[in-house]
Amino acid sequence: MNGPRVFAAVLGKDLRLDLRSWDRLGPMAVFAALVMVLLSTALPTASAASPGWIPALVWMVFLLTSLLGLGRSFQAESEQGTIVLLTQAPCDRGWVFLGKATANWLALLGVELWTAFLCWVLLDVEWGVAWPEILGVGLLGALGLAVVGTLLSALACAARFPVFLLPVLLFPLVLPVLVLASRMTGEALAGDQIASAMWVGLALYDWVFLLIAYFVFDYVLED
Amino acid sequence: MEERLIRSARVLGPLALLGVAVWLGMVVFVAPVERVQGVVQKIFYVHVPCAPPAYLGFILTAIGGLGFLRTRKEQWDRLALSGAEVGLVFCTLILLTGPIWAKPVWGHWWVWDLRLTSTLVLWFIYVAYLFLRAFVIGSDAARTLASVYGIVGTAAIPFVYYAVDLARGSTLHPSSPAREGLPGLMAATWVVAAVALLLVFAYLLVRRLEVARLEAQLLAREPAR
Repeated sequence: MNGPRVFAAVLGKDLRLDLRSWDRLGPMAVFAALVMVLLSTALPTASAASPGWIPALVWMVFLLTSLLGLGRSFQAESEQGTIVLLTQAPCDRGWVFLGKATANWLALLGVELWTAFLCWVLLDVEWGVAWPEILGVGLLGALGLAVVGTLLSALACAARFPVFLLPVLLFPLVLPVLVLASRMTGEALAGDQIASAMWVGLALYDWVFLLIAYFVFDYVLED
Repeated sequence: MEERLIRSARVLGPLALLGVAVWLGMVVFVAPVERVQGVVQKIFYVHVPCAPPAYLGFILTAIGGLGFLRTRKEQWDRLALSGAEVGLVFCTLILLTGPIWAKPVWGHWWVWDLRLTSTLVLWFIYVAYLFLRAFVIGSDAARTLASVYGIVGTAAIPFVYYAVDLARGSTLHPSSPAREGLPGLMAATWVVAAVALLLVFAYLLVRRLEVARLEAQLLAREPAR
């Protein structure tokens, strides 16, 4: 019975902090815009405007931006000493993980919307052509990043140089999300039907890592 | 169990040495020179047999990690660490010998092919695993967190393979030497190479286990400062 209450408390706390201070979302929004501008100007004009490049570009901007927010997720708890309180939650610590991961997921969805808006304005991307599919890909892709990123953020937080370590730990593991999501986005934008195997692949990735993270998080927080 | 494994080094060492001697002898004197690729094809007998030990090392890392989290016995963690380090050596050999073969045959040092890309990502996962061990403060925490990453990293491998397959579509690599129907002497050399490198892997693994155990014993004896 305590589990869902701890989940709601952790989620509510993280969301309140994000909305109150903008310490995390503000820099992420500016960073996303900066990376988008840098990539768009650095790439040859034909590449930036080419529909083939856009999905990969969008997901790369999103991945790099999410790194900032995910890194802060446990670093802030560690700096303020509140991580000790999280370890004392009167329930399975997997619920703490679920609360943190959901807060990260919602923050990443906000960043995703912002990135999509930037693409619409700066690169003329017409998201409306297949919005239900693109919304589905966005939800599943952000969930995969949030789940793996939250777990690895907790691991990196216990190490020296977490800012350096987190991308080294995260990027190889989220390659499937990046590849599947950019492929699916590309097909949706081209008006093609997305193969069901890709939906299954992305959903299975999210589910498998959600389960693993739920069960191993207890050990992570313990140390 | 660890003690028995370490003691097996006395048998594994000479066996591995014999295996390597027979393997190299067969590569140089017995295996025929391939008609189209010429002598460069002989790197096949180094490149391909490195794959099973590389994957085995990473499986041992996940098993060791699971065992450590369940039992908290350090010997499981030593198995995980040894598997990752020795597996990484073989994974690096695959990545080094592949381009040496690819350049004269395909005309490029590197192509973004399914096997090459997934092996490279695998290499990155285990480099990250070793970085994590090196960077975490406190040996108990390092063991626990590395166990978690070892499990998560191994779980990601099938997804990486699937995603790269999807992105790249096809592979320039043949499916497997066994299915390709190699001529008799080539097949025999390949089998000898695979057995020899598995023996080398086993020998290096048990020696690394021994070193890890000695390190732990030394640390236990060291007076607290």
